[in-house]
Amino acid sequence: MTVAGDPSLLVAGIGEMVMSSSSDAHLVAYGLGSCIALAVWDPRTRVAGLAHFMLPTGPANATSPVKFIDSGIDTFLKAVEGRGAVMNRSILKAAGAAAMLTVGGGLAIGKRNSEALKAALAQRGLELTASALGGTVGRSVQLEVADGRFLVKSVSFVNEL
Amino acid sequence: MTLFLSEAGQSVVTGTFGRAMKRAGEALGAMSGQIIDVQTPQVRRCSAADVLALAGGADSVVLAVYVRIFGSIEGHSLLLFAPPDAHRFAQILLAGLFGPGEAPAQTAGNVLAYDDLELSALQEAGNVTISAFLNELGMHLHEPVQPTPPQVVIEMAGAVLDAVLLDLVSDTDQILAARTTFSEGGRAIDGTLLVLPRADSLRVLLDALGAIGI
Repeated sequence: MTVAGDPSLLVAGIGEMVMSSSSDAHLVAYGLGSCIALAVWDPRTRVAGLAHFMLPTGPANATSPVKFIDSGIDTFLKAVEGRGAVMNRSILKAAGAAAMLTVGGGLAIGKRNSEALKAALAQRGLELTASALGGTVGRSVQLEVADGRFLVKSVSFVNEL
Repeated sequence: MTLFLSEAGQSVVTGTFGRAMKRAGEALGAMSGQIIDVQTPQVRRCSAADVLALAGGADSVVLAVYVRIFGSIEGHSLLLFAPPDAHRFAQILLAGLFGPGEAPAQTAGNVLAYDDLELSALQEAGNVTISAFLNELGMHLHEPVQPTPPQVVIEMAGAVLDAVLLDLVSDTDQILAARTTFSEGGRAIDGTLLVLPRADSLRVLLDALGAIGI
């Protein structure tokens, strides 16, 4: 994983999306709990995008355009397409949707986020190539624009999807 | 929703934390057999982004004790420590339970590895600290505020917080953050006590404390 402060690092905070076609850029989302990061990478144009969704449903929001999966997914996919990605040949990967805090019944938002993302993609004829969803661990992710590698880091491991 | 707090209102909130932490210190002392003083020199209302900055960033690892709050106030509370500070605090808490030299040695090497005794002590310390605040709040509300049993997690700060931010409607300064110092003898451990009321509960909480309109 890269180091904060690196100018090639584009960070998607909660409800935000970042994209790039610059081969030295890294798209990251830090500290995902029940949130989901969706990564899109077109292997031909090498255009990449990363969205940091928080909740399954909610109204579109100009400040946080991808806070909600249902109202934000088209905004994100169209933005990546606008940069030159073609969705039906792009690789889609996702991580997050954990159940971090379980006392008091927990909030079960992670599971709902995971289901909402898969359903939203299926409605658009898309599916995830790889994912690290669910469980009880927090994750940070990094999408390498140069080659589409998607690194998933937790407190105790780093995996590549 | 943004609630304005005057300087006097802010003092009322700070005073409430101060009284609660005095009781927390007494309870921690009784629990550990040590003389523990708990101070909250700084209490402020802040946003989630501010809290993440306090913790060192969204992917900085923290040890967090989490309690969900229900009753007349709904929300969440967290007591956060940097992992090395959590180890030091656990050692203080456990030292009073064992004779000299009998306390379990701190796990060498991996700062994120805690043994069961350490985790249990920290979980209970978090429970005592958060409950002290809720008890103080309950006295002002004239009805109890209930906590769930505590849960301790060692995780990225962002991952811990996003699980509770879902309940907070706005991105404004809805979190009460108290820098909290636990002292025993010459040793001092810094933590952060967070109280995250749901939007409709923040006004109830501040109103009960008498912090609004003064």
